[in-house]
Amino acid sequence: MVDLCSALLLLTCFAIVAQRRLSACVDLFALQSVFLAATAALVAFLTGIHHIYVAAALTVVIKAIVLPRILKKVIERLNVTRELQMNINVPAGLLICCALVILAFFITQPIIPLGFLLTRDSLAIALAIVLIGFFTMIARKKAVTQVVGFLVMENGLFLGATAAAYGMPLIVELGVFFDVLVAGLIVGIYTHRIQDAFDSVDTSKLTVLKE
Amino acid sequence: MMTISLLGLLACYSGGIFLPPCLPGRPRAQNFIANGLAIVASLFGLVLGLTGLLASEPLAISIPSTLPFLTFAVRIDPLAAFFVLTISLAGLAVSIYAFGYLTKFYGQTSLGLLGSLYNGFLLSMTLVVIADNGFFFLIVWEVMSLVSYFLVVTEHEKSEVRYAGLFYLIMTHVGTAFIILTFLIFFQQAGSFSFETFRHPESPLPEGLRTLAFLFALIGFGTKAGIVPLHVWLPYAHPAAPSHVSALMSGVMIKTAIYALIRVYFDFLGGQFPWWWGFTILAVGAVSALLGVMYALMEHDLKSLLAFHSVENIGIILLGIGAGMIFQTYGLQEFAALGLLAGLYHTINHAMFKALLFLGAGSLLYATHTRNMEEYGGLLKRMPWTGFFFLVGAVSISALPPTNGFVSEWLVFQSLFLSFHLPVVLLNLILPIAAAMLALTGVLALACFAKAFGLSFLALPRSTHARHAEEVPITMRVGMGGLAVACVFLGLAPMVVLPLLDRITGPLAGVSIEGRVLALDGWAVAPTNVEFSSLSTPALALMLVSLAGLGLLLAWALGGRLRKRYYKTWGCGINLTLRMEYTATGFVQPIKRIFSTLYQPTIKLETEFLEESHYFAKRRRFEFYIEPLFQKYLYDPVVLFFSATADHLRIVQAGSLHLYLAYIFVTLVVLLLVAV
Amino acid sequence: MVQALIIVLAQTIVLLAVSPFIVGLIRKVKARLQCRRGASVLQPYADLAKLFRKEPVVSTTTSWIFVATPYILFASTLAAGLLVPVFVSQVPLSFAGNIIALVYLLALGTFFLILAGLDAGSAFGGMGSSREAIVASLTEPAMIMSIFAIALTAGSTNLSTIVHKTALMEGIVTDPSPHLMALAALFIVTLAETSRVPVDNPATHLELTMIHEAMVLEYSGRYLALVEWAAGIKLLVFLTLIANVFAPWGIATSITPVAISLGLAVYVVKVAGLAVLIGVVESMFAKLRLFRVPELLGVAFVLALLALVFFYILRG
Repeated sequence: MVDLCSALLLLTCFAIVAQRRLSACVDLFALQSVFLAATAALVAFLTGIHHIYVAAALTVVIKAIVLPRILKKVIERLNVTRELQMNINVPAGLLICCALVILAFFITQPIIPLGFLLTRDSLAIALAIVLIGFFTMIARKKAVTQVVGFLVMENGLFLGATAAAYGMPLIVELGVFFDVLVAGLIVGIYTHRIQDAFDSVDTSKLTVLKE
Repeated sequence: MMTISLLGLLACYSGGIFLPPCLPGRPRAQNFIANGLAIVASLFGLVLGLTGLLASEPLAISIPSTLPFLTFAVRIDPLAAFFVLTISLAGLAVSIYAFGYLTKFYGQTSLGLLGSLYNGFLLSMTLVVIADNGFFFLIVWEVMSLVSYFLVVTEHEKSEVRYAGLFYLIMTHVGTAFIILTFLIFFQQAGSFSFETFRHPESPLPEGLRTLAFLFALIGFGTKAGIVPLHVWLPYAHPAAPSHVSALMSGVMIKTAIYALIRVYFDFLGGQFPWWWGFTILAVGAVSALLGVMYALMEHDLKSLLAFHSVENIGIILLGIGAGMIFQTYGLQEFAALGLLAGLYHTINHAMFKALLFLGAGSLLYATHTRNMEEYGGLLKRMPWTGFFFLVGAVSISALPPTNGFVSEWLVFQSLFLSFHLPVVLLNLILPIAAAMLALTGVLALACFAKAFGLSFLALPRSTHARHAEEVPITMRVGMGGLAVACVFLGLAPMVVLPLLDRITGPLAGVSIEGRVLALDGWAVAPTNVEFSSLSTPALALMLVSLAGLGLLLAWALGGRLRKRYYKTWGCGINLTLRMEYTATGFVQPIKRIFSTLYQPTIKLETEFLEESHYFAKRRRFEFYIEPLFQKYLYDPVVLFFSATADHLRIVQAGSLHLYLAYIFVTLVVLLLVAV
Repeated sequence: MVQALIIVLAQTIVLLAVSPFIVGLIRKVKARLQCRRGASVLQPYADLAKLFRKEPVVSTTTSWIFVATPYILFASTLAAGLLVPVFVSQVPLSFAGNIIALVYLLALGTFFLILAGLDAGSAFGGMGSSREAIVASLTEPAMIMSIFAIALTAGSTNLSTIVHKTALMEGIVTDPSPHLMALAALFIVTLAETSRVPVDNPATHLELTMIHEAMVLEYSGRYLALVEWAAGIKLLVFLTLIANVFAPWGIATSITPVAISLGLAVYVVKVAGLAVLIGVVESMFAKLRLFRVPELLGVAFVLALLALVFFYILRG
């Protein structure tokens, strides 16, 4: 079951890579966060470690509700709905992500037998999600999708922590959530600034700053 | 029996080498003698190959020489015999074809020289696969390379032919250097150049040297085989030769490299590999297959297109062999044998259909005097036989049932599918991806040959040449027809071919799978068992024929007697002209656009407008080319480096005789000092 | 032997008889969703009968390829259909070829159809052929991958074995996620291979959609009838594949009159359901630009590859 949930997480990653509409990307991220929370809750239920429930609840609140709201608002105000130009086109991006998944499996292969029985296979998926999130930040041009990529990475890390160590200590997790929230807010504001300065949220325009 | 046919083969090829130049000024006689002897020699070769495959003991003959380490040793084991058979089959058909084809060269090229080189080429290829001594092998390998170089530059008055020849010569020698290194590695452990000692050295090779031998052999033989990225010479050199020689080069010569790879990996290195060897071969194969067909699609010169397809098919062969090597690593010998079997089956299949297609291209060249596909068109009505044979070749190379290409590609697919037996997840995932790449390759090949056949033979003629084309002479048709029959036979009769191939793979993989690969009294090919997978091309052929009959029957039953009306194609209200037809460039445009990252196409469109109005164009110029990536990023820097270094070294070359004498003097003195 | 022949014959008849109904049903569903009444679901039968009786016009530009293609296409598509279990889980002809052979038999038809499109010499056919070639090329890797995923879960590439095992719940996977992803991939492949929206539009041959319909533009009379029939059979073969590989339940696993008649009834219901689904999908989506098609097929490929990945993960 845990494997199935993490498989769904990975699937939403691919959907984000394949999606051009910004708001749909954000929705997919929200969906992914829901799956993540479900995975965490499942782990909590199966292991009986209670503080993971807290983390799961926080995930739903912050990542599935608050952050998507903020991002949606940003998209609305900036009036950018689609991403037409990408650094790497969609089919190529999907194939690269496939390669990343295989790479993740290859790397985690020697570690997996060492992990806990319940969630050890999720480690490979977690690494794959982190890599794909990173890749999204590279492949996309619009600031909003880059934020989504960053958040996907964070989801991957959370899954990894749950998978490898049944979650981090609660205090650390709280800190991380706070960080993510603040990062989301800052990036929202920062996107506005880029928009004001360049009339676009295309981050590749930032290169002119070096002059 | 084997000795006699071997001697007959040697005698006839030697006759073919020495007799034609003795008849200067009589091209007809030279043509007859050269090709007649080549035909007889090929027949001997067929006998030799078949008996060699069926013999229980390999035939080994050795004649010592006065040179150290060199013995003229030949050994005909099933592997060698199979390649002799392939060479001779192709040689037979091509020699028959050459009778007619060479009439074009009367009075232009010295047929004596051409005929002599042609026989020498066939002989050297045969010797390469039966040589049993490293030194002897290198000699005949070099002879094969040189003779094929001379054949490539037959039409040396054209500058592009000279360029192709030079490129080929350089590349093949780089390859030979690596082959020599490979053999030296074996030599320093074995102490002799005899293949027998290579097989069973006194002390086994250390791991590092084995790896080096693997890599050097891959580079050295890979250059000849045309694997990516060492393939760059192939699309220049193969088309530049006369078409019947191109058929042999593409159909057979590159296979000698496959032979040598199998010989080195499975025989000399004893079939013991780390997994990444097989993986490397597999990756090289997959990339070669895919890039070969991708570049072939963009080619509108029919012979260059076929040459790129050779890269593709070598890739497919290597996919089979690579899969076999991976299975061998993990001790799954049955599957290893299956992979090898698939590779070898594809080897002979490719020899047949590629030779057929090159001969077809030669016929088109003969009839229309051009290799540019954009100037063909409508030839099926003018050259019905050539067209039909070319279609058979095209269907075979596109791996469509029930032809031979389909059977061997199917076997490659099966051996890749069996990857789920492997214990490593990474390989479990990589082999299916290779299968997907093979699938893409197969369909792109289909697209490519739909283009090649459709634009050459169908619709309206696109030039006056094509309009005045006539069917080629009977000998050329017989040559092509024979190969077409071979393609169909190899497709319909895997039950005959597979037991023969099993005699080769049995000793190499260490297990015979004859009983396990055929089912239902041989009517079906079924790797592992019928439950897992099975294929029966005779049954498929029967189904196709009877269902086509059903189609005819239905049409007759539901529509009555057929009354056709003939009318010209609707051209939107005006008469259809050849300028309205779809061109080869247009046909592949979507593919070019989708894979633009690979092709890096450059398109130039210049328009001159009328002075009176900007809406009417006076003239348009369209130019388009694709970037040859490997040449630009891999070869050009190397060439630049060498020419720059050579520039610096020119200081030494002052042109003064005294200075040169001084160099020799200084060298001598230094050597004497060292000697002391 | 006699029993085998009868089953083969019956399967041929079922394929021939059901395929126009499926085409008609999809058209009906689309019409209803567009608030039209639409033609009867039996209209394709009438169309075929009429086309067979019509006098064909053949272009003077063409060669024998043009006339032979409809028969080759018809034969290869039907042959592919005979390899798939339709209402009996173990077809007598399954020894003739596995699922790869099926793919390549369909490719044989495509090859000749591309040639026929080029044969008449008009730009319509040429454009259709060119686009068909590219769509076919991009579909194939996804198709092979999804086939591989299916073959893995069933442990066989032989369609009869796959269907029979799944129908008897033998060797069925403990976790259905790889199966579902392969199903999704195969569904996209089906849309592309059978010239459906969002890849092609089977209803018109206008410039924007010129793929299949443009390629067969020059055909008329009985030739067109055969080509259309073959297209219908191809669609049916894909639907059968989806229905019987992923949900074979109800198919006759033994050869008794009761099981067979039940199998037939269930089969017709299943493919009709899938046809309705295709009709709905076609009405929901707009046609993609030709150069966006690779993205869709890329998604199919990735789904199939992920199915494979998950198969290995879940196996542990």
